[in-house]
Amino acid sequence: MRPLIAGVSAAGLVAALTLGSAVVLGRPSGAPAASARPAGAPGSGIAGLQARLREQPRDASGWAALGVAYVEQARVTGDPAYYPKADDVLRRSLREAPGNDGALAGLGALAAARHDFHGALRHADRALAANPYGQRAAAVRVDALVELGRYDQALAAARRADSVRPGVPVFTRLAYVRELRGEVREARRVLELARASATERGDLAYIAAQLGELAWNDGDLGRAGREYAEALRVSPGHLPALDGRARVRAARGDVAGALADRAETVRRLPLPRHLTEYGELLESAGRRDEAERQYAVAAAWTRIAKANGVAADLETALAAADHGDPKTALRAARAEYERRCPGPGVRQCSVHAADALAWALHVNGRDAEALRYARQATATGYRGAMFRFHLGVIEKAAGKRTAARRDLAAALRLNPRFSPLWAPRAGAALDDLGGAP
Amino acid sequence: MPTLQTSRARAAALAAAGGLLLASASAGLAPRPGTASSHREAPLISGQPQYDNTDVYAFVSPDRPDTTTLIANFLPFQDPAGGPNFFKFARDARYDLNIDNDGDSLPDLTYRFRFHDRLKNANTFLYNTGPVTSLDDPDLNFTQTYDLTLIRRVDGNVHSVRDIAGHAPVAPSNVGKASMPDYAGLRAQAVRAAGNGVTTFAGQADDSFFLDLRVFDLLYGANLKEVGNDTLRGYNVNTIAVQVPTRHLVKGNDPVIGVNSTVSRLTASGEYAQVSRLGSPLVNEVVIPRGKKDAFNASTPWQDARFAGFVTDPELPKLIEKIYKIPAPPGPRQDLVQAFLTGVPGLNKPARVRPAELLRLNTAIRPVAKPDRLGVLGGDKAGFPNGRRLTDDVVDIELQAVEGELLGTKNDLGDAVNANDVGFGKAFPYVAQPHSGSDVRGAAKPGARASGASATKDGEQVNLLNAGAVEDAPDGDGGPLSALPVAALSAAGGFALAGGLLWWRRRRPATGRHGN
Repeated sequence: MRPLIAGVSAAGLVAALTLGSAVVLGRPSGAPAASARPAGAPGSGIAGLQARLREQPRDASGWAALGVAYVEQARVTGDPAYYPKADDVLRRSLREAPGNDGALAGLGALAAARHDFHGALRHADRALAANPYGQRAAAVRVDALVELGRYDQALAAARRADSVRPGVPVFTRLAYVRELRGEVREARRVLELARASATERGDLAYIAAQLGELAWNDGDLGRAGREYAEALRVSPGHLPALDGRARVRAARGDVAGALADRAETVRRLPLPRHLTEYGELLESAGRRDEAERQYAVAAAWTRIAKANGVAADLETALAAADHGDPKTALRAARAEYERRCPGPGVRQCSVHAADALAWALHVNGRDAEALRYARQATATGYRGAMFRFHLGVIEKAAGKRTAARRDLAAALRLNPRFSPLWAPRAGAALDDLGGAP
Repeated sequence: MPTLQTSRARAAALAAAGGLLLASASAGLAPRPGTASSHREAPLISGQPQYDNTDVYAFVSPDRPDTTTLIANFLPFQDPAGGPNFFKFARDARYDLNIDNDGDSLPDLTYRFRFHDRLKNANTFLYNTGPVTSLDDPDLNFTQTYDLTLIRRVDGNVHSVRDIAGHAPVAPSNVGKASMPDYAGLRAQAVRAAGNGVTTFAGQADDSFFLDLRVFDLLYGANLKEVGNDTLRGYNVNTIAVQVPTRHLVKGNDPVIGVNSTVSRLTASGEYAQVSRLGSPLVNEVVIPRGKKDAFNASTPWQDARFAGFVTDPELPKLIEKIYKIPAPPGPRQDLVQAFLTGVPGLNKPARVRPAELLRLNTAIRPVAKPDRLGVLGGDKAGFPNGRRLTDDVVDIELQAVEGELLGTKNDLGDAVNANDVGFGKAFPYVAQPHSGSDVRGAAKPGARASGASATKDGEQVNLLNAGAVEDAPDGDGGPLSALPVAALSAAGGFALAGGLLWWRRRRPATGRHGN
């Protein structure tokens, strides 16, 4: 555990904890141990690998496998304490076998998990130079390119990985690149392929939740609900599915059910996005005071992040833009944009970073500037009602009434209930403009 | 002692809990970069063992010597009680048994298995809904069938494709006694006579490989203390097997065939990519370095020249020399080239051969009544590296070969696991019955030989260095293999011939070391 951050007053921390009545960090019990070896194999899972490495401390691939298992464990549990551990054992692996591709791929995965996407790309490239057939390194490379907004390269990397080492890790990435490019049918097809070849519960849950996401983005509540339920059936408590089910329940008017899911999500992983969505649901249900408490926790998170010297994140930027300090939001969004958009001369840019920056500029009243980024966020064809809504609102504020009318209508057409708080506001804004064109 | 420490221990525990609480709070709230996830984090580690090819066997069928049996295993480490799992073959894969019968390293025949799933009752996720008495029992909820095709190639190009079996049933996972009271009866129904004298099988089986996987770990840690534990004891695999009239497999007058198994997997673009390849056992572990394994798995024997350096200049004996001070035999290792790439002249080398990693079987060598676990090293030329039988102790054979046994440098390296934990069958498909889901894990099956880490031999601790030894017994008759042209071997080795026996000398029979 790293030392507690300077700059955070104890009072602030206590306040954050008190305010966030739902915020209790609990590691989900019985979280699946990551397996680098086949399930049930001797030495599979973290405990098995640790035991094996106590006996055989010079086993470089064992150290690499343990490092990757730690990164995976952090993904599943949301516990960042696994990252320094992963770092230690991956470097240990490299000391035992310099340049081994397993450890390099693991360092790439770790860097990506810590949002150092340039570092992830470097490590993945080194791993692939050592072993061009490595599936994990290829997956990390696709992840890094996606997050950096280099979607054409990401697609090329995913297709290459598919041609040499097809499998669930590659299929899920290929599907995401397709989705970001607006190729929804292809994304769905590839995810169905992944489902047909998956056997592990964690894989099956992830795939179902992604299919739920595609259906949600298409406004297909029935299908989305079925997929999230399937994910929760194969892996009870699967967080992305819980998050998705909350959205579907809210969209269907099951406010109590949605609130229960949101409270559980926040209890499990109190990230700004989850806190904000919980707050927005409370706000839409007329429980403004409780909503404010969730927003306050999200804001406290941002302050601690800043004090910690940690780069604020996209979702922090969005949370601050809507329910916090606009200046904080803009700083965070700009930093994120610079990190994820490779600079002048590069055509492509992370749609998420562009959307966050557009929205942060908007809440700071800089709509003319915001317009460019909001357009960038929707340029790939990615079907996200929220992005389209942001574009429409910015267009309206910038005096572009026709475009605003078109895009607000498009957001509601994509998914008429994309947010309990924002969908009604999109409707109101559209009415204000004279209704759908 | 415990009483005295109680209060202090409790205080320590409280302090620790307090620290943990604080730590948790900070972990929960401080948005370290990784926790503040805003990108889609997909699984890094996916369980995909169905495509993992573990072992290949090729031998002249002992009970039907005019036929040859080919077996390949997949999906390792199935915990029999780990259900309700469908230990199924992947339906988006092609499972191939490839035969090269003219030595050019290109497959001339491929027996291709493709699997299909069927779930009778989609409303339950139970494997079976009642006791299962036949393969078409309605209570067997999840079933697989397979189509078997024979692909003939000329110069590597597909010449013809013939259906051998369609909708053949796969023997199910052995769920347990209550669900499958007569599993052997069920499995027997999955042995099918197909056209043209071919018999086929696909289904669950005991993992026929027996070894102490830590033998390879030991090389890292220089820790000799534990051998003799069959790591694969109690685990099942999925097996495909065919028994084919030998005359259908060979070409012309050359009785030698080269065999391997490959798995190709459907890509998102609709092509197939080869993801697993296996011929000789342990080549991945003993010969191919870590970083090249994925490339090896994706490659074809035609390209094997690029791996030749790992055979002529192998890593393993250097490791052993570093750790155990056993001098590595001098290179380049032509002896290993013969064992792994070309076949041994006079034994299993094709008339014209392109060096390639294939399991080479001389189908003209008759099966023996009492196979020696050390195969050719034990004077039994019907065994590994002439093909591979289920009982061949390939770990000991390869360790000894790598340390120069083929060059006349006697050694007794071994892992002290000399036989499988379950007896093999006397008839096709020969692989042992799978462990049942009702078995207690780790419990010895009837007929299983005792094995353990504390094995001793003549009062001496058994370890890696002596575990491959065989008991003293009178020498044989000088060896049935004395006629082998060994000059090629000796040229590379530079050692004295002793009675014309060389490494092929008749080893003493391994009495008492066989499990069955």
